[in-house]
Amino acid sequence: MIGVALKMLMGDRVKYLGLVLGIGFATLLMTQQTSIFIGLLTWGANPVLDVREAQVWVMDPRVRQADQGQPISDQALYRIRSIDGVDWAVPYYRGTATLKSLDGALSAVTLIGVDNQSLIGLPPENRAAAAAAIRGRNAVVVDSNTAFLIFPDKRDPVGQVAEINDNRVIITGMTKALTTFAGLPIAYMKYTDAISITPPERNKLSFVLATPRPGVSAQELADRITAATGLKALTREQFARAGVDFIINNTGIPLSFGIAIGLGVVVAIVITALTLAMFITENLKNFGALKAIGVTNGQILAMVTSQALLVGLIGYGIGIGGTAAFIAGGRNDPSLAGFNLLWQVVAGSALVVFAIVVASAFFSVRRVLKMDPAIVFRG
Amino acid sequence: MEFPNGAERLRVLHGVDLRVDYGKITFLVGPSGSGKTTMLSILSGTLSPTAGEVDVLGERLDTMSSSALVKFRRRRIGFIFQQYNLIGTLTAAENAAIPLIADGVAMDVATAKAAVLLAELGLSDHVAKYPRQLSGGQQQRVAIARALVHEPALIVCDEPTAALDAEAGRAVMGLLESAARSPDRAVLVVTHDDRIYPFADRIVRIEDGRIAGEGAPVPERVHP
Repeated sequence: MIGVALKMLMGDRVKYLGLVLGIGFATLLMTQQTSIFIGLLTWGANPVLDVREAQVWVMDPRVRQADQGQPISDQALYRIRSIDGVDWAVPYYRGTATLKSLDGALSAVTLIGVDNQSLIGLPPENRAAAAAAIRGRNAVVVDSNTAFLIFPDKRDPVGQVAEINDNRVIITGMTKALTTFAGLPIAYMKYTDAISITPPERNKLSFVLATPRPGVSAQELADRITAATGLKALTREQFARAGVDFIINNTGIPLSFGIAIGLGVVVAIVITALTLAMFITENLKNFGALKAIGVTNGQILAMVTSQALLVGLIGYGIGIGGTAAFIAGGRNDPSLAGFNLLWQVVAGSALVVFAIVVASAFFSVRRVLKMDPAIVFRG
Repeated sequence: MEFPNGAERLRVLHGVDLRVDYGKITFLVGPSGSGKTTMLSILSGTLSPTAGEVDVLGERLDTMSSSALVKFRRRRIGFIFQQYNLIGTLTAAENAAIPLIADGVAMDVATAKAAVLLAELGLSDHVAKYPRQLSGGQQQRVAIARALVHEPALIVCDEPTAALDAEAGRAVMGLLESAARSPDRAVLVVTHDDRIYPFADRIVRIEDGRIAGEGAPVPERVHP
């Protein structure tokens, strides 16, 4: 009877298309919004994840995430280097500056100062070329993803002369950083150059990046540093997670995305349950006739469930395909960079859609299962 | 047979004893509310009596489990409804094949058998058409094919000509009459339509839930 059920469903094109498109739209809403949400959260962790060499980040105890700079004393660097278990420790500057191009355009930039010798802090992608380019005095390497925010006319930034905080700099190379939540263009300089062009203040060291010797875990080293200096020391994973938590706890993003995702679920439930219920109601006499003829309740349940599963499968495919197309289409758009369709989202949304269509099928078919087949003889 | 009616129970049938013969068309007639439809429902196994015995085709329906009753209906009863009850999104052949498909026969095999039967009923050009493309008479013929396709022993018809004009009604009854001319098949028709009384071999009148008598076939009855 499954074949009969599917022909019954597909023959009613309006309801069939309504169900498929409704579930497709709901799936698109759920998976696309979830992917964007997860992508945005990842942006909170990216400033930390982009510095792959550092296993431990040391900072002022009040700092909650990477873009919230509270400088610490330069002496901290030397004290940390003297702690047993430290393989290496380097300074890292991260702050906001104003970049002015020669034609007078102003851009707020995230200015990052990386260790002069090791250049730890430069993104791994295109690192060799960026390392060569950053060596010169007042040389700046910019992030290729966000350079268009500095030069909207999309000219080649390399070779451009500019000013940062009224200091002359020259853009000598490009790198590719992970997208951050702040969304500002990113400019890399050597640590000493960066702190020399930033406004005067007592301390300028934003973070100390460290890595433990073999045999010492990152957590162990972080604990030792905190004990010895009184500074906050977090492992790479902990600090990346702190960036995500900061977004969750301090923005309305989880609520607004939660509402959108919830709406997707509601749309799926409403469309599926109502349309299936309408389909059943309109065919109630026919189902009564089928029951009279000798179609069992189990067969009717299988019929309605197969109808629901088919529309669920096709609708889900359309929705997940739409999300995949959206993400693939945004690959080269910096504002959508870092968004991915995770397998967890694919599997989770499939489970939600499956649960909705099966529950809707059971809900809709209850009347038929309870129906007396003799109803078909009554007016 | 009783039904709940508020706090009371309404007795619909009172000690009815009805015999339906093989090879004959038996009409069950009577005014509205007399119990005809309840009688038909009980005899076809779609409704269980609250009391009494129901012996149909040698089987006791009143003691049958619900699953056995479903199987009994599927294999031994053919149904023809007043409003045809064809599924609008299935072709004539697919509609007619439903009893076989429900019994586990592959859809293509069942549909092929139904198509042969439809051709015998004069619908060879309409097997692939949908109900909305057929006239009322043609739709009822598809319903007859559906009632015959699994070769049941008893065919129950609920007002089979009520929605048809006189000519289409006569054509439908002619087909039912042919179907009844089998030594191992009986046809029971519930009807208000006195235009088709000439097709009856026996007319049983029911009133207030009791058999009020049997009428002789009308004189103009013409046997094939």
